[in-house]
Amino acid sequence: MQTVGQQLIITAIPTLPALVFLVLVLTGRLLKENAQYVAILGVTISLVFSVFALLFVAGIVPGGGRPIEFSVNWIDLGQGGSFPMWVYIDGLAAVMLVVVSFVSLMIQLYSGAFMEGDKRFAWFYAVLNLFTASMLGLVLAPNFIQLYVFWELVGLCSYLLVGHWFEKPSARDAAVKAFVVTRIGDAALFVGIIIFWATTGSVAFTDISEAAQAGFIGGSLYTTAVILVFVGAVGKSAQFPLHVWLPDAMEGPTPVSALIHAATMVAAGVYLVARTYDIFVQSPAAMLVVAYIGGFTALMAATMALVKKDIKRVIAYSTVSQLGYMMLGLGLGSYTAGIFHLYNHAFFKALLFLCAGSIIYAMDSYNLFEMGGLRRRMPITFWTMLIAGLSLSGIWPFAGFWSKDAIVASAYEEQYYLLFGMALLTVFLTAFYIFRAIFLAFTGEPRTEPAREAAESPGIMTGPMMILAFFAIVSGWVGIPEGFGLPVRDYFSEFVHPSEFAAATLGHEAHAFSFALGGISVVVGLLGISLAYALYVVRPEWAGELAARLSWLHTFLDKGWYFDDLYGATFVRFAMWLGRAAREFDRNVIGGLVGGVGRGTLGTGGLLQRLQSGGVQNYALFILLSVLIIGVIVGAQYAAMVVGLIALATIAAFAVGNRL
Amino acid sequence: MTLVSALGVVLSRSVVHSALFMSGSFLGVSGFFVMLNAPALAAFQVLIYVGAVTVVILFGIMFTQKPQVRRYRTIINRQFWAGFLVAVGVGAFLAYVLSAEDWGGAEAGNGPRQVGAFGRDLLGVSQGAEIFTLLYEVASVLLLVAVVAAIVVSRRKIGEGVDRGVRE
Amino acid sequence: MPQIPTQVQEFLDTLVAAPPLEGYLVVGAILFAIGAWGALIRRNALVVFMCVELMINGVNLTLVAFADYLPNAGGLGVSYAVLVLAIAAAEVAVGLAIVLAVFRSRRTVNVDEVTSMRG
Repeated sequence: MQTVGQQLIITAIPTLPALVFLVLVLTGRLLKENAQYVAILGVTISLVFSVFALLFVAGIVPGGGRPIEFSVNWIDLGQGGSFPMWVYIDGLAAVMLVVVSFVSLMIQLYSGAFMEGDKRFAWFYAVLNLFTASMLGLVLAPNFIQLYVFWELVGLCSYLLVGHWFEKPSARDAAVKAFVVTRIGDAALFVGIIIFWATTGSVAFTDISEAAQAGFIGGSLYTTAVILVFVGAVGKSAQFPLHVWLPDAMEGPTPVSALIHAATMVAAGVYLVARTYDIFVQSPAAMLVVAYIGGFTALMAATMALVKKDIKRVIAYSTVSQLGYMMLGLGLGSYTAGIFHLYNHAFFKALLFLCAGSIIYAMDSYNLFEMGGLRRRMPITFWTMLIAGLSLSGIWPFAGFWSKDAIVASAYEEQYYLLFGMALLTVFLTAFYIFRAIFLAFTGEPRTEPAREAAESPGIMTGPMMILAFFAIVSGWVGIPEGFGLPVRDYFSEFVHPSEFAAATLGHEAHAFSFALGGISVVVGLLGISLAYALYVVRPEWAGELAARLSWLHTFLDKGWYFDDLYGATFVRFAMWLGRAAREFDRNVIGGLVGGVGRGTLGTGGLLQRLQSGGVQNYALFILLSVLIIGVIVGAQYAAMVVGLIALATIAAFAVGNRL
Repeated sequence: MTLVSALGVVLSRSVVHSALFMSGSFLGVSGFFVMLNAPALAAFQVLIYVGAVTVVILFGIMFTQKPQVRRYRTIINRQFWAGFLVAVGVGAFLAYVLSAEDWGGAEAGNGPRQVGAFGRDLLGVSQGAEIFTLLYEVASVLLLVAVVAAIVVSRRKIGEGVDRGVRE
Repeated sequence: MPQIPTQVQEFLDTLVAAPPLEGYLVVGAILFAIGAWGALIRRNALVVFMCVELMINGVNLTLVAFADYLPNAGGLGVSYAVLVLAIAAAEVAVGLAIVLAVFRSRRTVNVDEVTSMRG
């Protein structure tokens, strides 16, 4: 067991950013721009502790070498039981901890300049830290309920951050869209959790896996539950068919996109699948679903990125596509390859977003066709973006190559040739679209005035960019497979690997590194780059002609395969109709009822008011009348009298009526 | 005679006539009391009602009215017919209930014929009438309070003028 | 004395015979009703007073009638009637004092004009 000191350190990893959130919420108005220092301090400490955790699990720190596992009694009800918060850190979790806190730190440094002058500066940092805390908590969770709590928190922070500039209606709508679409996934996830809990009585991943092995859950129910969990991951990671929120989420500030929609939150879905891998591998059908959805999403998103004008949207679709790769890898059984790609992707994708943000900061525009020739004016941005692009395209020896190639190769080696073809085609498209963006932005002549005036961004922005660029190159080098011929160990595979049980269930043989497959993917990538070069540098007019000739295709891709329109026509219309109906019901029926009660009371009061005439004799008349009525009712035994009185009343009515 | 006088109280146009009709009604009731074997009570009735109450009311009239005959419009309010019907209803109801009930006793002549017996009853000395001691005393107190109250309520405040007749 | 015929004798007997209990009760009820009617319709406060006295007398009559006719009552009804009489007299005194006081402040005994309880 860990010492208390170690437990404190681990607990501090998510707690510190949460504390920073609280502090900034309370004192944000006072701190204003100084909030960034508080935040950066918190995240740095978290990062240091995360590195410690990593070293511990890796065995470098004495006493380590095994996963960290302990629980803290969060609520202790004595007799009634208690609610412990569990912590489980193995290789996968340790890597994620470091990645999340590191990227978060880079983003927060960067935001100091990017968000300068923003009205809600301190709030931005506060929510950013809450997000970091939630993501770190999610990483530490070894059971579904804890995971779900942080899962939801992460979704909430995404909503808050995407809608940071809520004065813009498009930002408001995008935030709601992100939240609602991921909510669909969350609902499915919750149903899956319930099924697991109901059948096995536990929500811890290991317990469920063992229960499944013991046969507590039947085949099709099990697969259904696993697929439901996967749907949750689909929502969070913006896979088909719940991918529609991610491009719109670009309405948020660029640092938000870099942190949440590149490196961390969208990775949560992939992380979930990896964490519950023991559960997934027991359902081959679910694994196939994961793989095919991943592959299809990768291809689909890459096609959509081909025609976008907005640089951030290109990168957003790229994220969706790369996440598809990760899902593909996991679905095929290449756990290590998928996670390796997640790890590498975090660095170069965050870098891509930061470069885009740098351009936006300098030019105040994100339209690719308004840029041009920025190579000379913003050199640091250019070189870092180029590095990121090469890494994304999977060109050797950049980081992206090692992981992307691993996934593509495993598709071939596991004999899923369709997926292999899709993956390879996506490599081509990926290289093409990212270099289209780079060439459009940085080469040629400036197309507009702001492009001519653009200046390099301040150091606090380029600093993180350069650090990330460094990692975008070298991060893959910890996972160079042995077969490559270099005298370095594959540290990553040793550190992050599926459990023995999972490996045994999958029954894959280890394949040595294949130069042929690696070469094929590099060549395809270079092909893509050269096509982009040809269309955008050498002969720009060809691009225009191509777009004009194939305008139907262009529009189809530009509109995102008409998914937004499809969803809008069906679900959104229905939901809006429901909302309108509810509003009308509330207004007319409930409001009418309430209003009616009020008016009725007023009316009755008005009528009764006339009874109070102020005349004593009037009152006496009514008293006597009442006495008479009571007497009649009580003395109803005297039938004759009743008859007589009724006769009297009738005559009275006549008399009054005729005003005798 | 009693009932006719009662009608006269209600329907007469002059207040003074009403007062006189009222004392006529009282006399009729007094006669009833004699028929009911309670001569002492009859004497009291005449003394107090016809004697004292009528006089007091006449005094009241004297202080507050110009005694003249008025039209019906000014003396009867809008509840004429409603009141008539309600009163008829109540009267009929009472009469019917009281008559339809089986009292099971003819004249038994139970009233206190002798004044002495009556006095003993009233003071609570005779058999079965013990409560009347208390009631008698309470009645005395009540009368005292009433006298005081009447004086207090009708006191003239300092600074008010003399009664000068009435507004119509 | 000359011989009176039997029917006349019987008729005279009925004339001097005691009336039935219900007779007294009905008269009392009608007296009460007339008093009530008058209390409801007259505008002059003093006349209303008189009608209230009528009502009290009606009740007294009923009371004494019961006292005389019901064997188990023990003739106590008369004593009650005396007390009622006394109380009614007291009430007249106080009531008239009030009427005078109202008259002093508003210079009228018209009941319709005293409507400050109007709501």
